[in-house]
Amino acid sequence: MRRIERLINLIAALLETPRPLTADDIREQISGYDQPNDDAFRRAFERDKEALRAMGIPLELRKSDPFAEVGDAYIIPKDKYYLPELDLEPDELAALGVAAQAVLGAGDQAASGLLKLTAETSLPSLGGPRLLWGADVAAEQPLLGPLYAALLDRKVVRFRYGPGEGAAQRALESYGLVHRRGHWYLVGKDAGDAVIKSFRVSKISEVQASTSSYEVPKGFVAGDRLDREAWEWGPDPMTDATILFSDSVRWWAEQNLPAAATNEASDGLEVKVPFANVDALVAWLIGFGDKVTLIEPESARRRLLDCVGPYLEPVQ
Amino acid sequence: MSPVEQGRLAARLRRILVMLPYAIHHPGVSVDELAKKFGTSKHDLIEDLKLLFMCGLPGYGPGDLIDVSYETDRVYVRMADYFAAPLRLTPAEAIALYAGSAAIAALPEMAEADALRRALAKLGRALGATSQQDPGIEVQLAAGSVDHLKQLQRALAGAKQIRLEYMSASSGELTSRTVEPWGLVATVGHWYLIGWDHLRNDERMFRTDRIKSVEVLDAPATVPDDFDAAAYQGAFIGRTGQRSFTLEISPEAATWFEDYYPVTSSEELDDGWTRVHLQTTNPRWAAGMILQLGKEVRAISPASILDETRSLAASIAARYAPSGSDAGEGMAAGPAGGGRTEPDRARSR
Repeated sequence: MRRIERLINLIAALLETPRPLTADDIREQISGYDQPNDDAFRRAFERDKEALRAMGIPLELRKSDPFAEVGDAYIIPKDKYYLPELDLEPDELAALGVAAQAVLGAGDQAASGLLKLTAETSLPSLGGPRLLWGADVAAEQPLLGPLYAALLDRKVVRFRYGPGEGAAQRALESYGLVHRRGHWYLVGKDAGDAVIKSFRVSKISEVQASTSSYEVPKGFVAGDRLDREAWEWGPDPMTDATILFSDSVRWWAEQNLPAAATNEASDGLEVKVPFANVDALVAWLIGFGDKVTLIEPESARRRLLDCVGPYLEPVQ
Repeated sequence: MSPVEQGRLAARLRRILVMLPYAIHHPGVSVDELAKKFGTSKHDLIEDLKLLFMCGLPGYGPGDLIDVSYETDRVYVRMADYFAAPLRLTPAEAIALYAGSAAIAALPEMAEADALRRALAKLGRALGATSQQDPGIEVQLAAGSVDHLKQLQRALAGAKQIRLEYMSASSGELTSRTVEPWGLVATVGHWYLIGWDHLRNDERMFRTDRIKSVEVLDAPATVPDDFDAAAYQGAFIGRTGQRSFTLEISPEAATWFEDYYPVTSSEELDDGWTRVHLQTTNPRWAAGMILQLGKEVRAISPASILDETRSLAASIAARYAPSGSDAGEGMAAGPAGGGRTEPDRARSR
């Protein structure tokens, strides 16, 4: 019997069994575990358990009761294996089908998710008119899956944060994942100092879910804990910058910074923008070329001129 | 078993477990349709079905084994009720579907938006670990004016040309141009309009928040047959007429630079800095990028890019030039001799 057949039999038996099965039960009852000796069986079974868990199949261990005469036993709980009843209407499934086609960079994940959602229906296959839009919001982030799994399980997650050797070890009760401006952030409560913090997923490594559980506070909105713009996101104390948008670009500020405090000036519109990352603020303003002026604070002005200075003719 | 074999086994098992509920709920489905739907060859699909002959429940008698037939090209799977209900979504599937749908649902003028929002609410409930209804995922994209997005979608739906007032990302210059819209793509956190730009006579990406106005014209627009939204991930497109340029960037900048800019090749230098090769049709864009890098960049070539950088630097510095009594301070503190005293900080953008 091939290993894949044995794995299918193991899943079927552990889904259907009325009570958890011990290793001995499994060896006796399940087709494929006819290894010649105990060691060979143990090795095969250990590898199989690992393979199923790596695939996300909820193979659970029920510890033996010291007063009962059974050893550790295994089961796949139906409520954790099967997709819960979602009662998706045909138009909702069709809309998800359209959206799944628009997922760029993680299209195969979206498609296999959709196949699960539509297994019991007769939704026509994907295809049809060509889509003229798409979104790559879930692309190329291998750690999103494990981080999200820990979040759904409400298990404290441990990870390293930052580059290289100096990366700090963190333990977090994760409350939410937010995609903002092209980046994913993990938001939660630091298990050490109990402070709500945010972490860029792309700077996270070595993710491990622990066994300790927690609750997410009711009504917690992770996105509210993130600052709005790149320049509001950083190491500096939050300060207001005053920026003069000249007449040719003031429309941009009016359209895209509607909540900002403004002040009419003779040569444009002065806008107050809070920032906590002077580098990001300066980079953003350079993108406007000579159409904006950073009025204050002086330290940020100096930083902007630091960027520009090396390319100016020497001043005597 | 090697990791590759292990991966192959897992992929095959996953495919079988996802295919089974569909086959059970669609008795008589054709081999072709199943193969197409599950992205496999007819041969591999039949191999998968053959496996199931040996599978079933303990006892493994005629009443315990899965009953499979695929004669005359029609597939029947019986005696496998425990595989009839689909599997839960994996976290990666859930994120892709949920985040993608959330991005699309936020577009105005989406015929499916209402159904999509209902679907997301149900999906969110299914993802929540407990009774809590919050799926724990939020997606926020910058799009600029909702009215502009609406207009763009109308133009796309009706295959009409548009007149755009657009602010260039490299110079803040406002230009007016006629564009044949091809598609809308959300990438690196922004919505972009992709289309044929009559002003430059070339393909262009326009960040929607930099659009000042949109007017839908009567003239028809054509979308190329091979238009593929997926080709625009990362928000950079290859074009003819590009010229290469080279920079050296600091070790700190090297940790994030290639995530943001279309580097064609790079090599690390002996002192830890990295030489990166890029391409652009727009020297002004390159100049802006170089100024944004500040002290993290050196050794710019060719000279034409350096000249462009100098000219942009001069025009920006002119705004800070000592015309009044108090404006000169910044210049005096410039880095010509000194360098900055504050520690370098990680950028986050």
